[in-house]
Amino acid sequence: MIKVQNLRKVFRVHKKPPGLSASLKSLFRRDWIEKVAVEGADFTVEEGEIVGLIGANGAGKTTLVKMLSGIIHPSAGEARVLGYNPWEKHDAFRRQISLIMGQKAQLWWDLPGADCFQLLREIYQIPQQQFDHQLNRLTQLLNVGEELNIQIRRLSLGERMKMELIAALLHSPRVVYLDEPTIGLDITTQKAVRDFLLSYRKEESPAMILTSHYMEDIERLCERIIIIREGELIYDGSLRKVIEQYAPYKRLTLHLQNQTLDESSKEIFSKMGEKVQIQSDQVSIQVPRKNVTEVAAELLRKFKIHDLSIDEPEISDTIEILMGGKDLRQE
Amino acid sequence: MFVNLAVQLVVLWALWTAVFAESGKELVGEWDLTGILSYGVMVFLTGRVVRGGDLQMAVASEIYDGSLSRYLLYPLNYGVTKYAQQLGNVFPNILQSIVMAACILPFMGSSSSVDLHVTGLLMCMPSLILAHLLFYIMGLLPQLVAFWADNVWSLSVLMRFITMLLGGATIPLSLFPEWSQGALAILPFRYLFEFPTLVILGKVSVNDWLTGLLTCAVWCVVMSLLVIPVWRRGNLRYTGVGI
Repeated sequence: MIKVQNLRKVFRVHKKPPGLSASLKSLFRRDWIEKVAVEGADFTVEEGEIVGLIGANGAGKTTLVKMLSGIIHPSAGEARVLGYNPWEKHDAFRRQISLIMGQKAQLWWDLPGADCFQLLREIYQIPQQQFDHQLNRLTQLLNVGEELNIQIRRLSLGERMKMELIAALLHSPRVVYLDEPTIGLDITTQKAVRDFLLSYRKEESPAMILTSHYMEDIERLCERIIIIREGELIYDGSLRKVIEQYAPYKRLTLHLQNQTLDESSKEIFSKMGEKVQIQSDQVSIQVPRKNVTEVAAELLRKFKIHDLSIDEPEISDTIEILMGGKDLRQE
Repeated sequence: MFVNLAVQLVVLWALWTAVFAESGKELVGEWDLTGILSYGVMVFLTGRVVRGGDLQMAVASEIYDGSLSRYLLYPLNYGVTKYAQQLGNVFPNILQSIVMAACILPFMGSSSSVDLHVTGLLMCMPSLILAHLLFYIMGLLPQLVAFWADNVWSLSVLMRFITMLLGGATIPLSLFPEWSQGALAILPFRYLFEFPTLVILGKVSVNDWLTGLLTCAVWCVVMSLLVIPVWRRGNLRYTGVGI
């Protein structure tokens, strides 16, 4: 459904030092810098797939999404979405896609949700029966039936986001881009939005690309992730695999049996691994993946242990390492 | 709006009575005092209809703050959508203009230089529709510069000033110097304000009216042909705010 080949976007940005003299100088001569937002992106997304696009601020996630929705033009490369070139903006293409931007309201603030949806029905030429059915279903799923007749500007952030979701999905798009859909929402609303997206995926099977800084969004919704760093796609694969393949350590946690830890014990832990955390009778150590068995055996030999567990690191930790600078392309 | 019109009337009356008194003539150009005051009132009222629902800086603001993005996602034509919005906003102006014309014109007195008649009112309607469309298309051009420039407010104001002056929104263009008449007749500005006003005041023959309508329609096409490539080029530069 989405096929991207060597997509590139470079922004030319005016650079101006602070101060009046620099401002005056920039009237006659401007300094420009080229900022590569997306560099040679290659990937595909199939029907029913939710792909998480992960990266730090300014990594190029939103630019990529904007290109694939046709809002901005690329500097080079190709993309086909539902067989269309997105930035040619064919009406047939635009009728089948949707973009939800958590940081930017797209509804008309002076109108109640119900009127906004009627307007969208006209824009997308949705048959009345289909519109009524879809609106009814979406409002029930998101539990916002009572807010439909309230002006958008008077709704809470969570309610507004739910309205945005309804607006974006009324025309049953086959491709949905979600740019930080849960940003700023409380935990309950975040969960409601995630549950809604999962049930929507189950029923409609659209291709979805999700960008989010909340790892819980990614963990709950995406089986596959794409990590983008400074415009370059550095990982494209399953979410689980990223840990197995790229987390260099595991975390050993031991509960000791009524044992007081002296300085020599602490020294032993420090030699076995990194980031040693000691809390009363519980010790946690970060151990290189290849040494886990050996370290666990040695700990069992040296200490009286009530319980020992070996855990994979948090996904967020691994991804943070990847986003921070580990170069996966050489591995 | 009523206050605006009252101020406009007082200024016009003070200015033109002084001009007529100073010149000692019954006519200035082809206008008597009542006629020129009627022109002032009518150009104010037709101007409100032509500018009605004025986009002002709406398009430029949408380019700057990224609100344009949502319109690029919808399966519709942005220019037509904005015009529809403008049309929706013009109706209060039309109603206000009709009410004010009905209140003021009966008290304007008789004039040898103007002839208010139903025919003029009927002939004026297509002139106003075309003028409204032309004003909208011309207003788009400076705003689309927002794709390239960080601030188009001053450009927009300058365009507005030129449009009002050369469109006859301050004084009839026939009072401009003789040498400028040829250019003023060719340029699109007079079809925005002066032409519909003269039609209402019965100062345009049927032939001139048809020629005026045709010229205005041609200017609409020419301006659209200018706007379309600027819009397309601008779209290539649009970033939708942020990276």
